[in-house]
Parts: sequence; C-alpha cells; structure tokens
Amino acid sequence: MEKPFILHMLTTAKNLSPFDVNMAMDAGWISAVPYINVEPSEVRGLVQDAIFSRSPKGLLRTAIFIGGRETKQAMDMLKMAKNSMVPPFEVSVFADPSGAFTTAAGMVAAVEKELQDKFHTTLEGKNVLALGGTGPVGQAAAVIAAQAGAAVRIIGRQLDKAERIAELCSEEFGDGKINVSAGADADKAEYMKTADVVFATGAAGIELLSAELIAAAPQLKVVADVNAVPPAGIAGVDAFDNGKPLAGSISGAVALGALAIGNIKYQAQSRLLKRMLESDTPLFLHFEHAFDVAREFIRTTN
Amino acid sequence: MSKRSILHMFDPMPNNSPFDVNMALDAGFDVLMPYSNVKLESIHNLTQDVIFSRSPSGVKKTAIFIGGRDMGLAIDMLEACKPAMVPPFQVSVFADPSGAYTTAAALVACVEASLGKIHGKSLAGSKALVFGGTGPVGIATGVIASLQGAETYLVDHLSLDTANDVVKQYNRRFNAHMLGAVAHNDAEKAALLADADIVFCTAKAGIRVLSAAVLAQARQLKVAGDVNAVPPSGIEGLDFNHSATPLLNAIQAENPVGVGALSIGNIKYKLQQTLLKSLLETETPLFIDFRDAFEKARTLV
Repeated sequence: MEKPFILHMLTTAKNLSPFDVNMAMDAGWISAVPYINVEPSEVRGLVQDAIFSRSPKGLLRTAIFIGGRETKQAMDMLKMAKNSMVPPFEVSVFADPSGAFTTAAGMVAAVEKELQDKFHTTLEGKNVLALGGTGPVGQAAAVIAAQAGAAVRIIGRQLDKAERIAELCSEEFGDGKINVSAGADADKAEYMKTADVVFATGAAGIELLSAELIAAAPQLKVVADVNAVPPAGIAGVDAFDNGKPLAGSISGAVALGALAIGNIKYQAQSRLLKRMLESDTPLFLHFEHAFDVAREFIRTTN
Repeated sequence: MSKRSILHMFDPMPNNSPFDVNMALDAGFDVLMPYSNVKLESIHNLTQDVIFSRSPSGVKKTAIFIGGRDMGLAIDMLEACKPAMVPPFQVSVFADPSGAYTTAAALVACVEASLGKIHGKSLAGSKALVFGGTGPVGIATGVIASLQGAETYLVDHLSLDTANDVVKQYNRRFNAHMLGAVAHNDAEKAALLADADIVFCTAKAGIRVLSAAVLAQARQLKVAGDVNAVPPSGIEGLDFNHSATPLLNAIQAENPVGVGALSIGNIKYKLQQTLLKSLLETETPLFIDFRDAFEKARTLV
C-alpha cells in the first residue's frame, strides 16, 4: 500500500487558518496535521521528527507548511526548516503566512497582465506605490514587483515604520539586490503624480486612495485592491473588478478587485501545494515561487 | 460503511510530535486526532469519552497513543487509562513519548544481539554506561538494561545530583538498580569508560560525546550503540550505518563493535509499526510500554 500524503502544518498563531486546511486537502494531501503556537526555536525539532520517521521514499509524500502572521518570522522558519534537513532525509517546505505570499503573488501577476493587455508594457521601470504596504501582503508584493524591475515605494502612516519595512524588503527578502523605498501617507498626493501602479493592501475598511487623488494622477495605469470588505481601499474599485476602467481616471487606468486577485491567489497556493506532492526533490517555496506559478496560471489561461 | 480506524493521540506537550504522526498514519490508521497540553488528571475523562462513543465493535477500531517528552509522565498516563476502561468498552493504549520507548527498546535489543553474537555475553553481569542518560531515551534505555541485569550507569553531562535523582525515581518505579554518574569532561568520561563493557549513546543529536582519544582508554569495551543520526555521530568512528562494525578507535579493547543510528532506527521503525498495527489487530486490549516494546524488539533483531 502506498503511504498516505501527510502535510505537517506549523503556525505561530493559536490556530491554523481553515483556508489553508481546505486548500491543502483539496490539493490532494490526505492528512493535514496542525501544530499551533509554534515558536521559531521549535522548528528544528519538529522538522527532524518529521524527517526521521519515514524512509526517503515516504518523505516524498511528506511536506511542511508554515503559516502564521508575520513575513519575516515565516521566512526565518523556512530557512531554519531547510537547515534542519539531513539528506537524504528531507521534505519540501512551503511558507505562506496568512496566505500573504500567494495573495501578493496573485495581485502582482494580475497587475502585470493588465499592464501587458491594456498598455503593452511590463513592470520594468514602473513607479509602484504600495499603500498600507507595511503588512505581510504589502511587503511580499513590494518585493515581487521590485524583483520584476519596478521602482516600489511602501507608503505607511508612520514614515519610520515604512522605512524599516522597506529596508527589510530590500535587504532581507530581496537579498540586497532590490531597492524598495518608503514614503509617508501625508505625501501621497505628491507621489501619485508619477505613480504608474497602486497596490492597496491596508486593513479592511479603510480608504487609502480617494477619488480626488485618482483624478489628479496623470500616468496611473493599474490599481489593485485586496480588500473585499466595503468601503474599498481604492475609491470606486469593486471586489469583482477585473481590468475594468477605473472611474475618474484621466489616464485610462484599470482596476483589479479582491475577487479577481483572489482567484489567482487560489490557483497559486493550490499549485504550490500540488507541486510539493509531485516533486521528487525537496522544494523550499515562498513568495518568489508563488509569483512564478501565478504567472504560469495567467499564461496558460490566456 | 465500515467504521474508520481512529487513533486518539494524547500529548502533554503543546504539540504532538510529527514523528508519531507519520508513524501512526503509516501503520494504517485512517484518522488521527491530536490532543495537546493534556494533563494527567484529564486522562480518565478523555479515555471514557473515547470508549463510550463507539459500539464494542467500533472500539476495536479505536486506540489511544500517549506521546510527549516525559518518560515518567507517559507511564503515569498509560496507567491512568486502565481504570477508565469499562469492559466491553475498552481500547488499546500505546505509550511511546517522542518514540523514546521504541528507540530505547531497539537500541538495547541491537546491542544485546551483538554482545551475544560477537562476544558470547549477555547483558546480565555487564557494565553499561548510558550517555545522555537523563533524557527520555536514556532513562528508558537504562531501565531496560538494568532490568536485564546489567550494572547500568546513567551519565549526566552536568550534574551528579541530576543523575542520582533520576536514578532514584526510576529505580523505585520499575524495580531497577541503576546508578548515577557525571562526566563533565574527557578525563571523567575516560575514567568511567575504563572498565565498561557497553556504551549506549543517547545524547542530543549532533553532539560528539566520545572522541577517539577517550575511546582509546576503554580496555574492555565490547559493544557501543549510538542513536544519533545527525552528524557528527555521538561516538567518533561509529557511523550511522554501522551494524556490528569494528569500532577501531577503541584500540585497547578486544574486538569492540559499534551499532549506528540507522541500524537501530530500522529496528525501531519496524518495532513501532508492529506495535501500532497490533493496536488495530488485537482482540483484547493491549497496554504497551517500553518493557513490552523491548520484548517485541528482541524478536525482531
């Protein structure tokens, strides 16, 4: 009898996200086992317990998922997990804290598609504003867009926090190869004069971009809002918008709403979960890989 | 539809061990249910909730696993399950905290087999040292060896008091005759090793406990077993795939051999699988601890 597919699901939070559990089961994992309130220092022990209890062949049917709420912590845990493997005793690991990596990947891939379809251009050299960008989704989106060649600025209400997060994105997540900058929410109007793309990834129920600022943006091309709860994070964007002209834009910008982004996010998460099932070498997956599969999904469905 | 088999996994720790989870699913249980932060005083009620929610034919497809990191607490929990059963509403219970019982059982059984085959000796009358002796695997190893008649020392790397406390507690509980010892440094290790017949190395993964220089002081070492699978091995020159392989660094000893983590792990794996499967196959409820595990391990080596 073939061994069952087992996904060990680690989270630093009190509970797993039922979202991740459903996704894992639907991707084909037979058992999804929760480990909650996990301290980063416990990762090594848990990983080694997982790898030393199956043969290398059985380990091909075993993987670890890292949830939680925090980007840096999840990336650190992913690194620790990778360093705890003892080849040939090793398993795949996928970090997606609060689904932020796949959400960010879905959003950036959708934006890239709109830039291509409506403006025949790419992210390369575009000015991107990540509004409410200090949270997990904003951080990952900033890094992914910067890695695709965009000039990304993280906008937050507290400038010092935005600066700290921008540096974390550039140095830690971008490996020093990208340069994400920061700006204060109060200076938003100034930045909108040169913005090509806007991501809205703030807390639900807060309007981050007003109709006035949209009307005053001369080169705005695509806006994306991950908020599905009214009021919208970007004035005039509906959760169902999928490349619809943005009301009041003088530059012909189009809008992406939460459900259009969510669809690609879903595909990206599902594909990475399946990739771990099928791979015959261990994979260590995070936002970069999420972006790869999100792009792949868009390419294959066009 | 026939009822699915369910393993209720009681664990005093904040989380179950992925080790136990993999093993239980591989043994054929359909459904695992983790219970974390379980207290000893909750065992009675949890057990009764397990037995009274299925028919007597259903409870045959139901079992309890006790995990954790604490060797004594696991035994207490196993014992606490027994009076909670109400025949014919009863299920089997298997205690194996972090796999420590089955690891210890496999370690001692492998070492015993090499001792007999290569040196014609038994555990009875041999002097055995358990390094990392105050951890869960070490304690279970020490108790099993002592109950087989070996003069067994649990060696702590920091404190003689710790070793003696553990020894006293577990001797009383299991009628064993272990002794406590401490080895802070190579000189103290060498002194202990001088007239030892057997070394069990159950220290933390990735810690080198006995160097070649220390091993060179062992005059009558016969068999060494090391459960550490993460390099470096606990005993220098003893590789994780060694199986009764000459232990060249013990230059003074006559024909010493080593058993590595992979050989022990193979037996441990088979043992744990056999015991988990027996929970599903048995007609009468089983209560399995490390002593039962050792008896079964002997039949496997």
